[in-house]
Amino acid sequence: MPTKTHLISNGAVIDDTWVLIDDETPLDDTPAIISLDRLKAEADALRSRNAKIGVVIRTNTQGKTKLGEDVRELAPYLDMLSTIAIDFPVYRNGRGYSDARILREEMGFEGELRAIGEVLFDQWSFMARCGFDTFEIDASIPVEKFKEALNELSEAYQPAVDNQRGVLWRRHGL
Amino acid sequence: MYRYDEFDHKIVTDRVNQFRGQVNRRISGELSEDAFKPLRLMNGVYLQLHAYMLRVAIPYGTVSSKQMRMLAHIARKYDRGYGHFTTRQNIQYNWPALDRIPDLLEELASVEMHAIQTSGNCIRNVTADQYAGAIADEIEDPRIISEIIRQWSTFHPEFSYLPRKFKIAVTGHENDRAAIKLHDIGIVIVRNDKGETGYEVHVGGGQGRSPFIAKKLTNFVPAEKLLAYLEAVMRVYNMLGRRDNSYKARIKILVHETGETEMRRLVDEEFERIDASQMLSLPEAELDRISAYFAPPNYENLPAQSEVFEAAKGSNADFNHWVKTNLVPHKTPGYGIINISLKPIGGIPGDATDVQMDIIADLAERYALDEVRVTHEQNLVLPHVKLDEAKEVYDILCAHDLATPNIGLISDTIACPGLDYCNLANARSIPLAQEISTHFADLDKQYDIGELKIKISGCINACGHHHVGHIGILGVDKKGTEFYQISLGGSADEQASLGDITGQAFTEDKVVDAVDTIVETYLNLRQPEERFLDTYRRVGMSPFKEQLYAD
Repeated sequence: MPTKTHLISNGAVIDDTWVLIDDETPLDDTPAIISLDRLKAEADALRSRNAKIGVVIRTNTQGKTKLGEDVRELAPYLDMLSTIAIDFPVYRNGRGYSDARILREEMGFEGELRAIGEVLFDQWSFMARCGFDTFEIDASIPVEKFKEALNELSEAYQPAVDNQRGVLWRRHGL
Repeated sequence: MYRYDEFDHKIVTDRVNQFRGQVNRRISGELSEDAFKPLRLMNGVYLQLHAYMLRVAIPYGTVSSKQMRMLAHIARKYDRGYGHFTTRQNIQYNWPALDRIPDLLEELASVEMHAIQTSGNCIRNVTADQYAGAIADEIEDPRIISEIIRQWSTFHPEFSYLPRKFKIAVTGHENDRAAIKLHDIGIVIVRNDKGETGYEVHVGGGQGRSPFIAKKLTNFVPAEKLLAYLEAVMRVYNMLGRRDNSYKARIKILVHETGETEMRRLVDEEFERIDASQMLSLPEAELDRISAYFAPPNYENLPAQSEVFEAAKGSNADFNHWVKTNLVPHKTPGYGIINISLKPIGGIPGDATDVQMDIIADLAERYALDEVRVTHEQNLVLPHVKLDEAKEVYDILCAHDLATPNIGLISDTIACPGLDYCNLANARSIPLAQEISTHFADLDKQYDIGELKIKISGCINACGHHHVGHIGILGVDKKGTEFYQISLGGSADEQASLGDITGQAFTEDKVVDAVDTIVETYLNLRQPEERFLDTYRRVGMSPFKEQLYAD
C-alpha cells in the first residue's frame, strides 16, 4: 500500500473530507467512515447525528473462515450512508468487485463508492465497471494517467454497472 | 469456425497494446516483478524454471489452417522450433524472450488468436469436445455456447481476481470427451421433453491435491439464461470462496464444505436476483449470429463406403491398424475423423515441431475443410476427411512421424511438463512417459492390451490428470529423491471416477516394472472384450496389490 495517497473521484482529484474513525474514538461532527460493527451497534444514535456518515467494508483473509463482511447487511442503513468504502487488503483479493456490483445493482446504492487499500493501475478500469466512482490511489500517479488506464480497454463484452450494455448486446442495437 | 468482427478485433488489439505498456514498465523498472506478476499471468506469461513460458489460448480446441501456420511460425521465430499442446487444448511455448512477447501477441492477433486469461485467477480458456460438429448424435455443437462463454468471460470486471483459477468445459454429446466432471464448471448440452435445447450445469469438479467429481446443480438452464446462471455461480464463489489457503481456494472446496444442497440454494438465490434484471439474457439474434459460424461445412454427397479406402485397408496392414485406432466415424457418409497422435514411441507427449505444425496446417487446408482440433489428451484431430483421401493423409502423416497408431492405447500417455520445465514439480514426467511408451513399443502387444489410459503428473497439482488415469502416476518428492505413487481405476469420461492409490510409492527405476505388473495382472484376469477399466471395476484393487507388493 502506498504511504501517501490521493483521492480521485469521477475523474478528478478531490480533497478527502472524510476521516476513517476506529471503533474506540468518539465521533465529532466531521464526516466519518466507521466500521460495519459500529454502524450496526450505533445506528439509532447515528441517525440523529448532524454529520455525514460512511462505512468501510473489510475483506479479511486472516483466520480460517473470515471471508470478510457481508455488504448485504447494509440494507437497513443504506439511506443514512453517504459513502461506502470497500477495502482491498491486497490487489489479488477481488471480493470487493462483487460487493460493489451488489451494492449498485441489487441494493440500488447511489452514493459514493470508494476503493481503498491496494488499488493499483491495472485494477482501476474493472473497479470502475463494477460501480466504484472514487479511488484512493498512490499520490504520485497523476489524474491523466488514471484516466488513461480507464480507457486502455475500450470495449467490453459483458454488461456491468457502467453504462455499457456489452458487445454481445450492442451488436444487435440493444 | 468463428471469425472476429470489429469488436473482437478491437478488444484483442487493445489488450496487446496494454500488455506492451506493461512489459515496457517492467523492463524500465517502474513495475517490480511482484507487481508485474498478476499482469503477465493474465496474459499467459509464466516464469518457469529456465525462462518465461507463454501459453496461447486455443478456444475450445479449434484452429484453422491459417492459425496453425501462425503457431508454427511462432515456434520458429520466437521459440526453439517447437510448441507443446496442453491438456486444456492450448499451446505453450517454453522459450520466448519477454521483450518480444508483445510482438508475438501482435502476430497472433493478426490471425484472431490471443493469450488472454490462459493463466491467473480468472476464467480460463473454455474447452470442449474435440469432435464437435463432426460426431454423430450430438445435441448441439458445443463450440457455439463455448464461444459465447469465451466472450462473456473475457475481461470480466467482477471475476478477474477470483480466489483461484476457474475452468469451464462443455460437451454436446453423451460420450464425454471433455472431462467436464473434472472442471470448476462442466456443461452438458441437453434437450428437454419439449424438445428445447438447454444446459445441465455441474459445479466443483477438479483434480489437484483434493480431487472431486463435480456436482450437478441444475438439470436444465435455457440458452438465453445460461450467462445469468454462470454469473450466479461465479458470484457465490467470489463472495464465499476461501482466500486464506491457495490449496483450498478452488470452487470444489467451497462446494465440498458448503454441501451440494446448500450450494444449489445459494446459486439459485443469486440466479433469481441476477436474472430478474434481464441484463444478462442473451439475445436470440446473437445466439443465431454465433451459431451461423458453426453451421456444418459443405460436405460432398458421398457413398457411406469408400472403395479406395477399403482397398487401401486390405492391401496395407499398417494403414489398417492406424484406421482402427486413429480414425473415428464421422456423422456424414463418406467422411472420417482423423486423430493425429502426438505421442510417438519414446517422444514427448503433446510436442509438435514447426514443420509438423505446417504439415498439419496443409493437410487441414487440403483435406479437412480447413480445421484442426486439439484434444485434452494432447493429440490433434483433422475433423472432416473424406474416406477416399484418408490414405493420402496417412502417407503424409507417416512421412512426418505423425502416424503413430496408438490413440487410446497404453502409449497414448498424458503427461505434464514436470521437473524438466516446471518450477512446481517434484519429479520428472516426460522421461517416464517416454520410458513407458518405449517399454510397450510393440504394437501387437499394445493392441492386445487395448484401451488403457496412463496419465502422469509431476506433482500434486495434477496437470497430468493422474487422478483420472486408468493408471495414474504421481511424482512425489521424498528427501530429494523422486518417487512415484500409482493409482488405478480413474476415468475422466461420463462415468468419471477417481483412481485408488495402490499403496507405497515406487522409486523411479521400479515404476515401469510396476506398470508392467499391473498390465500383466489385467491380462490374466480379464474376461473377453473387457477393457482394463472394466476389469479393475469388476475385481477391485486386491489382485493388483498382491502382485505389486508381492515381495
